[in-house]
Amino acid sequence: MKINRWMAIAALLSAQAGYVLAEDQSDELRQLKQQLLELDQKVKVLERNKELETEAASAKAQTAPSLSLGAGGLHVSTADTNFTLKIRGYVQADSRFFLGENEGVKGNDTFLLRRVRPIFEGTVWKDFDYRLMLDFASGVTSGNGNNGFLQDGYINFRHWDEAQLQIGKMKEPVGLERLQSGANLLFIERGLPTQLVPNRDVGVQLHGKLWGNTIAYQAGYFNGVEDGGSGDVEVSDDGKDLAGRVFVHPFDKTDIEPLKKLGLGISGTHGSHVGTLRNYATGGQQTWFRWRTGAGTAAAPNVTADGSVTRFSPQGYYYWGPFGLFGEYVVASHEVTRRAGGPGNVTKDTFRNASWQVAASYYLTGEDNSFGPVAPKHPFTLGGDGWGAWEIAVRYGQLSIDEDAFPNYAAANSPREAREWAVGLNWHLNRNVKASLNYIHTDFEKGSTTRGEVTADDERAILARVQFSF
Amino acid sequence: MKKHILSSLAWAVTALVATAAPKPATLLNVSYDPTREFYVQYNEAFARYWQAKTGQKVTIQQSHGGSGKQSRSVIDGLPGDVVTLALAYDVDAIAQKGKLLPTDWQKRLPNNSSPYTSTIVFLVRKGNPKGIKDWDDLAKPGVAVIPANPKTSGAARWTYLAAWGYALTKNNGDQNKAKDFVATFYHNVPVFDSGARGATTTFIQRGIGDVLVGWENEAYLALKEHGSDKYEIVNPSQSILAEPPVALVEKVARRKGNEAVAKAYLDYLYSDAGQELAAKNFYRPRNEAIAKKYEQQFPKLKLITIDEAFGGWQKAQRTHFVDGGVFDEIQKGNK
Repeated sequence: MKINRWMAIAALLSAQAGYVLAEDQSDELRQLKQQLLELDQKVKVLERNKELETEAASAKAQTAPSLSLGAGGLHVSTADTNFTLKIRGYVQADSRFFLGENEGVKGNDTFLLRRVRPIFEGTVWKDFDYRLMLDFASGVTSGNGNNGFLQDGYINFRHWDEAQLQIGKMKEPVGLERLQSGANLLFIERGLPTQLVPNRDVGVQLHGKLWGNTIAYQAGYFNGVEDGGSGDVEVSDDGKDLAGRVFVHPFDKTDIEPLKKLGLGISGTHGSHVGTLRNYATGGQQTWFRWRTGAGTAAAPNVTADGSVTRFSPQGYYYWGPFGLFGEYVVASHEVTRRAGGPGNVTKDTFRNASWQVAASYYLTGEDNSFGPVAPKHPFTLGGDGWGAWEIAVRYGQLSIDEDAFPNYAAANSPREAREWAVGLNWHLNRNVKASLNYIHTDFEKGSTTRGEVTADDERAILARVQFSF
Repeated sequence: MKKHILSSLAWAVTALVATAAPKPATLLNVSYDPTREFYVQYNEAFARYWQAKTGQKVTIQQSHGGSGKQSRSVIDGLPGDVVTLALAYDVDAIAQKGKLLPTDWQKRLPNNSSPYTSTIVFLVRKGNPKGIKDWDDLAKPGVAVIPANPKTSGAARWTYLAAWGYALTKNNGDQNKAKDFVATFYHNVPVFDSGARGATTTFIQRGIGDVLVGWENEAYLALKEHGSDKYEIVNPSQSILAEPPVALVEKVARRKGNEAVAKAYLDYLYSDAGQELAAKNFYRPRNEAIAKKYEQQFPKLKLITIDEAFGGWQKAQRTHFVDGGVFDEIQKGNK
């Protein structure tokens, strides 16, 4: 009985001890659980805050200005693209060599920098585009009527693609090849028709595109410049030029793939001009036709522009796959005055000079031909598989002077006509580097008989170029 | 012959009608964070209504984010035809800084251009493990509170002001005590989301915190979507009358040729159909009949107004939420 009592006490103590132990363990577990929950919360908070930081950084990146550098130049833009700046440009390092007996008498064989053009362009306030293109090439000068260092300088209000307003110095919308960028030319020098159309001029132009790329139009009011000339400021008269152009891609919206890049257009200018008349140059950039310039005496008559100037140019191109073809015709009509002494020796006449050209090209490496730049399918890499894009080209053109300009208005020994054919090879190593080689042959109708003069013999010029553009 | 003429005539009429059909319109509604679900339903209803009324097809695009952030986006060029934001100050900013609508925009529609109201409540985990009953409980040590960031979120500004208003009431208008209370409240905030929807994600999806403080409609939506077996709503003894405003961004709508349809879009919010949809999405309708119909859904709360307690949004913004304002001071002290 005594033993039982002790056993009962022992059992009671043991149970009590177990209860206390269990209670201790339960408290400990509760505390551990609580600590675990708190730690879990801390980890979750850390993770969430990290997640929010990443989201905030991503959102900030979306609103941060973007900066990119690549084949298209340096591009800076606000996140909403309302403000942008592109810095790009191109440099053309040329060589010009003349073949034949007149070598060394006519144009000198030379290396030259044909174009060195930094370009700054972009947008401000979403709707206002701007462009500034300078030129520091060999022989560029700043004259009385034109600052050759400034090629383009304009602002374009582009709220609607269909109707944009451009103000400043820009290309007049006339010659097809003239409107092609100097960096995308098929041949090293533009063809003869470009001699008859204006280059850059200061004025205002309404332009736009309708139905996508189907119709493009330009209508401008400019100071007016001489054939092939550029101007910054009117220095000889108050006359102004109206210039207009409509260019259509009639099949652009259709599924007829072979005709989608058929473009046809018509352009023209009308205005008045007083002052110097522009001479005309060959593909080798030698002057082959001159108007008479002198003191205005019987012995040295002087011929100047003095009245209306009208130009008219149907034009077109066609590109399908690697094949390309373009052509244009220009007729330029000038009212001119010849002074050869006193008032009785002043005569006035109107002459119509005309020019046309056709050029074809083909990418041997299969790239899609176009009026714009080309991206080689396999850019050239030394020791690699890529050979860039290879393009062959051929061109024929002529420029005829009005017969009535002879003999009194045209300078002595000036030919009636220049006829040019050319072949070319372009190697586009990549989007940015291009090498070109041209042979240009020009012959003249009734050229000079004086040995050593430009038109005394056919001009045979080999032109080469390495171009870097970005 | 007669049949031929008739069919030609029918064809011509059909062609004429087809030609005369109005051009489809696309509206952009720039809204605050938790209105997504409501406006998805509302947009469908309005598009049906508008096409039946005018024949014009309308597509409504939505953009959502923290109310302050959305306001800045519109000022910076986001082309919203209408804004449906969390508070009037954010629309004022579009009028004053963006100059995209008249400064008296609030008078253009009934009820201060607020077709529905809401308030600030608490959402706690089921069983309310921290025993949260009122604002005081949110300032206790060891309670993790999840509001959004008042610098970017409309709901968060309403929350801040509701807490401040409660402390003012409790302390007989003592601003310093109110500030101390709100500072303690924000001391308990472990995560700051930029918008109300983000705060809900933090509380529900990420399982952080003991109480989500925010929109009443967002709390009910959470219950509906995630289950009343997991969460419960706690209504504090006092909250604030939140009046989310809507406005036509006149210059943008006019430029896009959407002025008429955008105006109708906002007017339709006051219609019976619009008010019903608002109520179904847990916004308190203005229409008395519809409010009565849904009165069981919305408990009666003591609500202060921003005009009475803070002198209006402009003053509240200047005092509390501008850079260097009281909220920034509090946050600086809490770091």
